[in-house]
Amino acid sequence: MSETVVTMLTNAFSVLVFPGLLFVMIVGLLLAGIDRKVLARMQKRKGPPVLQPFYDFFKLMGKETIIPDAANRRVFLAAPIIGFVSLVVMVVLIPIGGYTPFGITFNADLIVMLYLLTIPAVALIIGGSSSGSPYAGIGISREMVTMMAYELPLVIVLLTVALKVGGGSFCFSLGEISAWQETNGALITHWELIPAAIAFLFVIPAEVGTQPFDVAEAETEICEGPLVEYTGAPLAMFKLNTAIKMFVMTALFTVLFFGNAVATEYLALNALIVVAISAGITVLSMTLAHAVCARLKIEHLFKFYWTVVTALAAISLVLVWCL
Amino acid sequence: MMEMFNNYEVVKHFPVIAVMGLFLFAFLIEIFGAKCKIIRNTLTLIATGGAFALILGLIPMVFGEGNVISYWMGDWKPVAGYAIGIGYEVDALSLFFGLLVSGTFFLSSIYSIKYMSRDHHLGHYYTLFLMLSGSVLGLVLTGDIFNMFVMIEIMTFASVALTAFRNKKGIALEAGFKYLILGSIGSSLVLAGIAVLYMQCHTLNMAQISSIIGGAGLNPSLVFAFALMFAGFGVKSYIVPFHTPAADAYMAAPSSISMVFSGMVNKAGVYALIRLTYTIFNAMDIPAVNILLVTLGAITMFIGVTMALAQHDFKRLLAFHSISQIGYVITAIGLGTALGLSSGLFHAMNHTMFKGLLFLCAGAVFYATGTTDLDKLGGLSKRMPKTTICFLIGAFSISGLPPFNGFASKWMIYQSVYAKGVESGNFAYIFATIVALVVSVMTLASFIKVTQAVFFGQLPDKLKDTKEVPFAMRLPMWIMSGLCILSGVFYRFVDVNVLYPVRNAAFGVKNYISSMLGGEAAAAASNVSSEEFFTLWDPKLWLILFAIVLLAVCIVVLLGDKTLGAVRKNKASEESDGKYATFFGGEKSTHSHVAGSDLFWGFKKDFKGYFKFMQGMHSGSVNDYALYVVVGTALIVATMFIFVL
Repeated sequence: MSETVVTMLTNAFSVLVFPGLLFVMIVGLLLAGIDRKVLARMQKRKGPPVLQPFYDFFKLMGKETIIPDAANRRVFLAAPIIGFVSLVVMVVLIPIGGYTPFGITFNADLIVMLYLLTIPAVALIIGGSSSGSPYAGIGISREMVTMMAYELPLVIVLLTVALKVGGGSFCFSLGEISAWQETNGALITHWELIPAAIAFLFVIPAEVGTQPFDVAEAETEICEGPLVEYTGAPLAMFKLNTAIKMFVMTALFTVLFFGNAVATEYLALNALIVVAISAGITVLSMTLAHAVCARLKIEHLFKFYWTVVTALAAISLVLVWCL
Repeated sequence: MMEMFNNYEVVKHFPVIAVMGLFLFAFLIEIFGAKCKIIRNTLTLIATGGAFALILGLIPMVFGEGNVISYWMGDWKPVAGYAIGIGYEVDALSLFFGLLVSGTFFLSSIYSIKYMSRDHHLGHYYTLFLMLSGSVLGLVLTGDIFNMFVMIEIMTFASVALTAFRNKKGIALEAGFKYLILGSIGSSLVLAGIAVLYMQCHTLNMAQISSIIGGAGLNPSLVFAFALMFAGFGVKSYIVPFHTPAADAYMAAPSSISMVFSGMVNKAGVYALIRLTYTIFNAMDIPAVNILLVTLGAITMFIGVTMALAQHDFKRLLAFHSISQIGYVITAIGLGTALGLSSGLFHAMNHTMFKGLLFLCAGAVFYATGTTDLDKLGGLSKRMPKTTICFLIGAFSISGLPPFNGFASKWMIYQSVYAKGVESGNFAYIFATIVALVVSVMTLASFIKVTQAVFFGQLPDKLKDTKEVPFAMRLPMWIMSGLCILSGVFYRFVDVNVLYPVRNAAFGVKNYISSMLGGEAAAAASNVSSEEFFTLWDPKLWLILFAIVLLAVCIVVLLGDKTLGAVRKNKASEESDGKYATFFGGEKSTHSHVAGSDLFWGFKKDFKGYFKFMQGMHSGSVNDYALYVVVGTALIVATMFIFVL
């Protein structure tokens, strides 16, 4: 009986504190702050303090919530929460430094991951759609096209990694992928996977929705698209979701391409290492592109992902298959 | 009472009574119910409900004890080792499809009562409806291949008549005509295949044919018969390039009928394909057959979904999604592995649920507004909130979002296709996995389009007075929604209790033969064993986690109305409150260049050439469509001769 209670408490701890809710909220907002600060530095500005996203978040939580007349109330309010929940579930499933709070029980969690990743985007789309605004209409159209654009290379990258780790057998498990790298070296050091890693680096900013791939939320032309009608707490949730997505995507990159190769015996240290690598990848894949490039048009974005990025991923897949 | 279901002598009559009952009631309705509404509705509900109950009564016998029910019509037992009478043979595979058939028709009949109440000549409607249900049920329960052909014929002609039922519209007649021509070609192919088969085996009993082929091996005539029947059943299950009549038929038919078309009539083709490849020819060890099925499946899902993206009619869009989802099923069953087959069957079952649900939603929209044109609808979520929820459940299910059922079955499909690729070392399977994953996102995109164009967005002035549909129509929708969630969350239960016996039945050819004809006939057949359970995942913990969080969400949403009760509404229409008008100043969607059906112009622009080509291919001319069927059949025959012999 007491064992059950202990298990339940441990599970609750994993979901609510580490690596769940509290941990991702803090790390996600921190990454968003680092992103803003580094971007400002790159553009020779002083920039906001690193903790600025925290201030923004709490400020928005306290603001009035307005629901437009044309909106479907329940869907409008539920959308940000659904996105948030699926992100938290994802974080619990990502083995941080080989630590899986529920054990390696999800033999095919790579696919689960892929689908959980779509839910925050769907939540944004459904929420925006339910607000009834034509700006949101344009925004969700672009969000959906962006999603179709990055999904193809993402799928190929994930299958490539699975193929490389599995060899001649079936392996769809993040835990196994992570553990494999402990003995065989980080996947990023295997040269045939470098194109796939680059492709994944391109997928991250589109998934998170940062410039130059933020066509869906283009503030200057369609007033943040799907978010145009959102105010107060729901808006804060959406901003938080974006921040958490930064961590989820970069942590996924860490697991896929570094895995246990960078893990130590200490969980706290592992978490720190993952966060540090995540921050590095954030700067590399998101901040740098943001500082250098202007926003793309939606059809150019789509073409870019289905040609250049997909080609990179496919090169890796073919190399892994043939070697 | 419960004793009865365990008594073989009683239970073995159930399948025949169910099929005969449906046909009998079809004529009773024509005689007694043509004028009187109450008699008509009562008879229909008794017939479909009775058939459903009888099929349910088979569960303890077939799923529980693993028996195969064999029944010789008129007690015409085999003479000198040759089966001469019509035999009904119900194993777990037949029962699985029988359950889907009778359940779907039962729900559809409940829905029909209210939905069809504004139409005329309803006596004919219900007669045809029961004919259709009887024929599809007979098709999946029979053990005689010629009887199967007869059922296919009845099914085709009942379908044609029902497609053209609302014959005041030209489009319904056109759709009926196309269905008639292509359906006849498909039936002829099946008949030709059966003729060759009969010439070779001198029997029409499926178990016996299987036994003979298992003993003698394949010869060119048998391969020819296989290819012809393969193409014929392909026409019935609408795999590309035979898919063309489906779009018109599903759009033009009343929604209650579209639901059964999409839910069951094309599944009957899938069932026949499984019987053909697994039981009769035991051909799933042949790599060429696997590759052919997987290739056709992958092409079908891709073309289906891209065509769906280009549609601007609600039901036509759903029709193309039916085609696309059947592609998943064909791909999965084409693998010939135990996991592949169970994932395919699971997806077939889930497709029956969520596509039925979506067609019912389309029907509800049509009932409430009188149109299914995406460009004329919008903002219905305020007027029809319950339909909106049902639609969202269906849309999320078909797009494969967790925790709905589409996710569970697609998850299994990806695993099985990928595993097959890794095992066999064939890159085609890896490619098929990628196609399947990408098609899933496109499915989502297409349903986002419908959501935006029909339920969200702005309400046109014409639809201001729209009302929610009556309870009798919502009831089947709620049942379907509930099933979508239940089978998605408890997929482990479904896998162990339903799919496992079904999979064993499909692989257990020897058992199939021996329970019909006795042990000696079965000796020649090879039995593929699939004894081990597939424990590729342990979803328990993941489920608990998701359930907790989902519960939290539900609570938040439910409380949301009260706790956030103080929120202020944006009165965009009132000029007095200028503060909010800045953000939502009454912009009309007509000013936006992405309205209704053309939501994904960014995507379409990059695929201009492809869409233009596909539009040219779907010319609407029945000559072209017939040509595709002939060419497709020729290709299948050629493939079989080159790679199998």
